[in-house]
Amino acid sequence: MNHLPQAWGRPRDDVYGAYDHSHFQTSGPIQHTQSPIVTGTSVVAAKFKDGVVIAADNLASYGSLARFTDVKRLRKFNDQVVVGFGGDVSDMQYLDRLLNSLDIRENYSSSETALNAKNLHTYLAKVMYKRRSDFNPLWNHLLIAGLDGEDKPFLASADLLGTTFTSPTLATGFGAHLAQPILRRTLPDDASVEDVDQETAVKLVKEAMKVLFYRDARSMDRYSIAVITKTGVELHEDEKLENQSWQFAEQIRGYGTQVN
Amino acid sequence: MATGMLGEDGIHIDMNHLKKGEVNLGTSIMAINFKDGVILGADSRTTTGAYIANRVTDKLTQVHDTIWCCRSGSAADTQAVADIVHYHLGTYGITNDEAPTTQTAAAIFQELCYENKDQLSAGMIIAGYDHRHGGQVYSIPLGGSLHKQAYAIGGSGSTYIYGYCDANWRENMTEADGIGFVKGALQEAIKWDGSSGGVIRMVVLTAQGAQRHLYLPDQGYAGPGSQ
Amino acid sequence: MVSPLADTSIGTGYDLSNSVFSPDGRNFQVEYAVKAVENGGTAVGIRCKDGVVLALEKLVTSRLLKAGANKRISTIDRNIGVVSSGLLPDGRHFVSRARDEAASWRSMYKAPIPSSALANRMGSYVQAYTLYSSVRPFGVTAIVAGWDSEAELPVDGQVGAGPKVGSGGKKEGQKHGGPFLYMIEPSGLYWGYYGAATGKGRQIAKSELEKLNLADGELSLEEGVKEAARIIYVAHDDNKDKEFELEMTWISSLSGPTKGRHEEVPKELREEAEKLAKKSLDDDEDEEEEKMEE
Repeated sequence: MNHLPQAWGRPRDDVYGAYDHSHFQTSGPIQHTQSPIVTGTSVVAAKFKDGVVIAADNLASYGSLARFTDVKRLRKFNDQVVVGFGGDVSDMQYLDRLLNSLDIRENYSSSETALNAKNLHTYLAKVMYKRRSDFNPLWNHLLIAGLDGEDKPFLASADLLGTTFTSPTLATGFGAHLAQPILRRTLPDDASVEDVDQETAVKLVKEAMKVLFYRDARSMDRYSIAVITKTGVELHEDEKLENQSWQFAEQIRGYGTQVN
Repeated sequence: MATGMLGEDGIHIDMNHLKKGEVNLGTSIMAINFKDGVILGADSRTTTGAYIANRVTDKLTQVHDTIWCCRSGSAADTQAVADIVHYHLGTYGITNDEAPTTQTAAAIFQELCYENKDQLSAGMIIAGYDHRHGGQVYSIPLGGSLHKQAYAIGGSGSTYIYGYCDANWRENMTEADGIGFVKGALQEAIKWDGSSGGVIRMVVLTAQGAQRHLYLPDQGYAGPGSQ
Repeated sequence: MVSPLADTSIGTGYDLSNSVFSPDGRNFQVEYAVKAVENGGTAVGIRCKDGVVLALEKLVTSRLLKAGANKRISTIDRNIGVVSSGLLPDGRHFVSRARDEAASWRSMYKAPIPSSALANRMGSYVQAYTLYSSVRPFGVTAIVAGWDSEAELPVDGQVGAGPKVGSGGKKEGQKHGGPFLYMIEPSGLYWGYYGAATGKGRQIAKSELEKLNLADGELSLEEGVKEAARIIYVAHDDNKDKEFELEMTWISSLSGPTKGRHEEVPKELREEAEKLAKKSLDDDEDEEEEKMEE
């Protein structure tokens, strides 16, 4: 032992050789964890002839615990873009701040035209891909809804791997399995978008939210819904699911042959 | 004894082994808004596995005059985080000639918990009073997200009292009712959670400053009360 | 070392370097920087009861420049604007640094930087450029205008809203936030002002600002816009500088026209203010002519 504190408690040099300080660092490459902790479930969206409808419930789960019931997962970026977030809530908040700083930088000069949904989707997809390439992904699945550079309805997704998709209807998480087939009945292809008006699209998305509430064990009956058209963004953050169907439960007796 | 800390090569310290032996605040903590400010509350049990390492722990930590936090998770991690926030808020108060707000404290806590989420196991509740905003309660669960809440509960014991709190919560309570609510909830948590126990500590934060309370199990949690 | 060549100039050699005092305690480099400011177009800022106005006499240096382009008043954060007189590139650098400071505050505290904190940080930054022989001081005087939100701001990114009835124990009837105006000089000196002016026409502009009794806090933002335009026109020296463009920005309260954001004054309002400014100049000239006739 010598007088240097960093040598205290360590093997003597004359016995074991000089201390290899590279061992003092954590060995191997830096590792990021990641699994999501506080999470939001599905986001669903559908185009219609004048714009896009997007919805997500207000729940943030902690495992199976319905921990926070007032979490707004739709973020208005400007008058023509709304981003919907599924997945980790802390990463959602990080992206929210990132979009905030992007918006501040965009407004340094007032003359340029505002970023549209297509621009924002490109940006976010690159952010997501960069982070997965750093082996430190943002644990989210995003839907970007709004208008493109020609004021046409725009809807696309970006996930934690940086994968992108676009379609007349989109849904993340459980919604991809449960909501998407329902949405596609009305909006099977690009051509069908022209035949769907706002009222139909809103009704359709609300119906999808209802099915998700029935069948997704990480969902709740309070949700946010936004409609983006040329006239701007109409965002409601405290909607309640209506016209649920439970009455039929009284017909159900036993699990097979039982009649009483 | 010392060899237990060493890794396979017998020379280097086995960090994973140390981590497993870490002291955890398997805890019941909470903070609520009430008519005149906020109340923080916590049990006093610290465990290493099933052994109670400390039965009179103080989990309510001051980070500025009337901004406090409740700590749950690793004792070492939460103390380190609270110490760093304490330092930043002290600096803020001096350089800006103005006391930091609860938002400022919550923001710094959140940044530390989010950016270091890989290394930390820290679940914090931040509660504070300032003249501009009155009382405020923020919750920062494991991943490092930030939630403003009317009241917040945390720690392993909290899972047993979601029902109690939801059923008994009223907004704008008096101080006496607020203390009753916190005490009632923590008693239930202590009763059902093996990792929570000991005394109930509280801190009441109002325009008058910070006031500590203490309630002992051998007095049926009736007193001694305000300290 | 003192250069013999410099002996002829007024600084007698002590003006060649920053970080060297003259025997009577002056830093000549800073004083020369002030001269650079004095050659710039006039800039004014007015702190009104419900907002702040910035105005600039942008001298047209070439007919080949597009009218209305090349804006000189900059946005720092959503609620803060800066205008400067003096060396344009120095002003640009000042703005760039101010934006970095605002962004760094935001990343640390998850909230917009208070105007006072920004002025303080920029004051320190500018002052540092008077200390070292390897740099020269800023050739600008900058006017910083901000509106600190009167509302309770959330932490950036936070979710949830707390109790439905609002927070308990708030001190009622207290006002927070409001309009702020600071002017930072090449020495790093800065003060908060009711009205600030710099550049060529600063003397005239300052005496006009004094007449407005801004300390009373009565002047409305819209009146402020008109006064700012008028002052720029009054301070403009027709004999030396032929053409100029009036550039104006403002920041109102949350309930006002800009909702707490730093924005350009809308074209219609600016043109109306310019019309009134020209009219008041003509009226003054008429008065003077009448006096001559007497």
